[in-house]
Amino acid sequence: MLEWIPRGLRQGRVTTRYPQREEIAPAGYRGRIELSNAADAEPELAVLCPTGAITVDSDRRLSLDRGGCILCGACVHAAQDRFSFEARYQTAARSRKALVVSGQDEDAAFEPTRRVLGERARALRRSIHVRHIDCGSDGSEEWEIQALWNPYYDIQRLGYFLTAAPRHADVLLVTGPVTAAMRGPLEHTWDVMPEPKALVAVGTDACSGGLCAAGELTAGGVDEVLPVDVYVPGSPPAPIAIMHGLLLVTGLLRPGEMVA
Amino acid sequence: MTSTSRQPVGQPDYLPEHLGAVPEPAPPGELRLRVTPLAFERTARMLKDAGARFVSIFLAETPEPALVGAFALRGELLVLRAPTGDADPIGYGSIGAWWPAARWAEQELVERDNVRPVGVRYERRLTAPDADLLDRRVDGLDVFVLPFGPVRSGVFEAIQFQIETGGEDVPRIQTRPFFKHRGMEQRFAGLAPDRAVYVAERVAGIASTAYAIAFSEGVERALGVPAPPRAERWRAVYAELERIACHLDVIAKQAETTALYVGQARFQILKERVMRLRTRLTGSRFARGMIMPGGVRAEGAMGLDELHRELDKLERDLRRDRHLFLGTASMTDRLIGSGHLPRTLVEEYSAVGPLARGSGLSTDARHERPYGDYRRLGLNVVARREGDAMARVNVRFGELSESLRLLRQSIEHLRRHDGELTVELPHARSGAAFGWAEAPQGELAIWVEIRDGLVQRVRIASPSLRNWALFDHAFPKDVLTDFAFIEHSFGLTPAGADR
Repeated sequence: MLEWIPRGLRQGRVTTRYPQREEIAPAGYRGRIELSNAADAEPELAVLCPTGAITVDSDRRLSLDRGGCILCGACVHAAQDRFSFEARYQTAARSRKALVVSGQDEDAAFEPTRRVLGERARALRRSIHVRHIDCGSDGSEEWEIQALWNPYYDIQRLGYFLTAAPRHADVLLVTGPVTAAMRGPLEHTWDVMPEPKALVAVGTDACSGGLCAAGELTAGGVDEVLPVDVYVPGSPPAPIAIMHGLLLVTGLLRPGEMVA
Repeated sequence: MTSTSRQPVGQPDYLPEHLGAVPEPAPPGELRLRVTPLAFERTARMLKDAGARFVSIFLAETPEPALVGAFALRGELLVLRAPTGDADPIGYGSIGAWWPAARWAEQELVERDNVRPVGVRYERRLTAPDADLLDRRVDGLDVFVLPFGPVRSGVFEAIQFQIETGGEDVPRIQTRPFFKHRGMEQRFAGLAPDRAVYVAERVAGIASTAYAIAFSEGVERALGVPAPPRAERWRAVYAELERIACHLDVIAKQAETTALYVGQARFQILKERVMRLRTRLTGSRFARGMIMPGGVRAEGAMGLDELHRELDKLERDLRRDRHLFLGTASMTDRLIGSGHLPRTLVEEYSAVGPLARGSGLSTDARHERPYGDYRRLGLNVVARREGDAMARVNVRFGELSESLRLLRQSIEHLRRHDGELTVELPHARSGAAFGWAEAPQGELAIWVEIRDGLVQRVRIASPSLRNWALFDHAFPKDVLTDFAFIEHSFGLTPAGADR
C-alpha cells in the first residue's frame, strides 16, 4: 500500500499550466477547420459536408458553422485551397453565431450576453460546482470531461469541483443532441439548479445535433431545449477545449483571449 | 466477387434434413441458410442446442425482404434468412420467449417494425423508456425501488438501473437502456460508404475504431473487395490502441471505486498517454477519420521507431503499476468474489468480450473468425475461470499485454512490407454482408446492405446491449455498496447499446 506513494511522487508534475500558459496542440491535431478563402465559392462546396455545416450564399460567399462541424475532414480532403485543419485546443465560444465563420468579424454581436455572464460569474468565482448530464452523446465526450479531473488537467486547481447533486451545481455540462427520453430529465435538472447558473453545451452533437439532425428522436442540439451560455464544439472536444469553455463561462477568460 | 465467395455443398451436420434449410452463397466466415418463417424458430432452437451464441435478429431488405437471425457457431457467423414476402404483419415463433439472450433484440424489433412473434408478450416499452415509471415486484417490509439514473452522479453516460433493495441486499435489479437512442442506424441510409463511416465512428465514441473497422469490413465483404494488407495492419494498430485505452479506463475506474486514488491517478496517466499517442499518430484523440471502406486514409503520422519506443515506455510503467495494483489488498479484497457470473449464465445470455472471458469462455472475434490483420497475427486469448469482478480485471490486464505484443508485431510488419493503403470500391455494385470486429467491450457485428454503391441499410449488434442484459443477475450475494465496482467491471458503453 505504501509503495504507491513513492510511485506517485517519482512521476513528477504532469499537470498542464493552462490557462496561465498556453497548451500547444501537437502538429496535425484536428482541433477545428480553418476557412482561408470564403469568396467566390462554387455552390457544390456545400455538398461536401455530411452535417450541412458549410453553406454558400447567393453572393457565392462561403461560410462554415463550427458548431455543426464533426471534424471529419471531408472538406479538407476535397478543397485544400479553402479548408485546412488547425491544431488548436481553444475552440469554445459564447454564442452559436460566433461559431459561424465567413471571413467577417467574428466577435461583435454578443457584447450584452458577455456582460450579463461576467456579472453572473463574479458570484461563482473560485469555487464552481459542475454537474454533468448526458443527453445522448456518443460516449467520447464523457471521457474527455472525466479527463479534466485527471492529473494532466486537474481542473480542481482552478476551483472547479464535480458535484453529484444538481441542487449544488453552478454550471451544467450537457452532452448529446438531447434525445426524446432525456429531454424531461434535462429540464428537471436545470430547473432545480439554483441561480446564478450557466449551461455549457459540450461537443458538436450538443451544439447543433451534429449528425443527429432534429427529428422525432432528438431535439438537434441543447439550445432547442434550454438557453446555452457557452458552446464547445468538437467531436469530441479535447479536455483543454472543455476547460476553455468552463473558463469562459465563469469569466476567468474572455472570448478571443488565449490565456488568462 | 468469385474469389471471396463460396458455394457450400449441403446443410451443416447439426441441422436435420426436414427443416429444409437451403444454403446460400456468402462471403467467407459467414454461413447463410434460407428457411421459411415457419421453420425459423425450430432452426434457431437446433442452433442453440448445437452450442450457438445469439448475435442478432432484425429485418433485412437485400436481396429481398427477410427476417434475419445471426448466430455465432464453430468459427462461423450463421445467418438464418427467412424471406417474408408481403406478410403483414410478419409472424414467426418467438426466440426471446425461450432464449434470454434474444429477448432485448426481439423486443426492439417488435417495437420498431411490423413484426409479431408468436408465444411471447413484451410488456413495458424498451426503446422509449420513461425515467419516472417505477416497477416494483419484490414484496417485503422496507423494500423500496431506487431509480439510479438516467442522470448519474459523476460524469457517466445515461442509463437507468431500478434497484429494489431494503438497504443492503439487492433482490432485484432492472437495467433500462435506450435513454440515448439517437437512431444512428437510420443515419447511414443513402450515404456513400466513405461518408457513412463517419456515422459508424460516432455510434459508440469510445470504440470508434472497432465500429469503423466492422462497418468497413461489412462494406468490403458485401462488395467482394478486401482491403489491402497494409491497410489492415494500420487498422489493427488503431484497434489495439483503442483496446488499451478502454481497458486502462476501466481499471482506473475500478481503483476510483475502491478509493485507491494514487492507483487511479497512475492509470489515468497511462490512459492519457495513449490518448496523446493516438493524437500524434492520427490527429484525433480517438483515432477518428483514419479508417474507411476500402482501406485507410493515410499512414500514421508518427515514425514507426518512435511509436515502438513509446509503447516500450508504456509497457514498462504499466508493468510496475499493475504489480502494485494487484498487490494492494484493500483493492483486490473488494473485487474477489464480487459480481459473480457463472459460466452457464454467461452462455445462456450469449455474453461476449472481457465479461465472457472472465467467466471461462474463450470467445473473441479476433480468434473465432479472424478478420483483417488478425488472420496473420495469431492471438492468445486471455480467459479466467472465476467469473467475478477480479477475473474481469485480470482479463483486462492480460489483454493489455497481449495488445502490446500484437502492436509490436504489426509495427514490425509495417516496417518490413510496403504496399497500397486503399483499394477502389466498385461504384454500381450491390450486396449485403456482416462485418465484425472485437471491440474493447466485446464482439461487434454490423450488417451492411449496399445498393448501387450506396449504403442502404445498417443493423448493429453491439456488445454493450448483449452484455447489459446480464447485469440484472450480477448481484447474487452482493450488497448495494458493491454496485459501483460491479458496474465498472462490466466496462460497457450505453451509447453503443442504445445507438
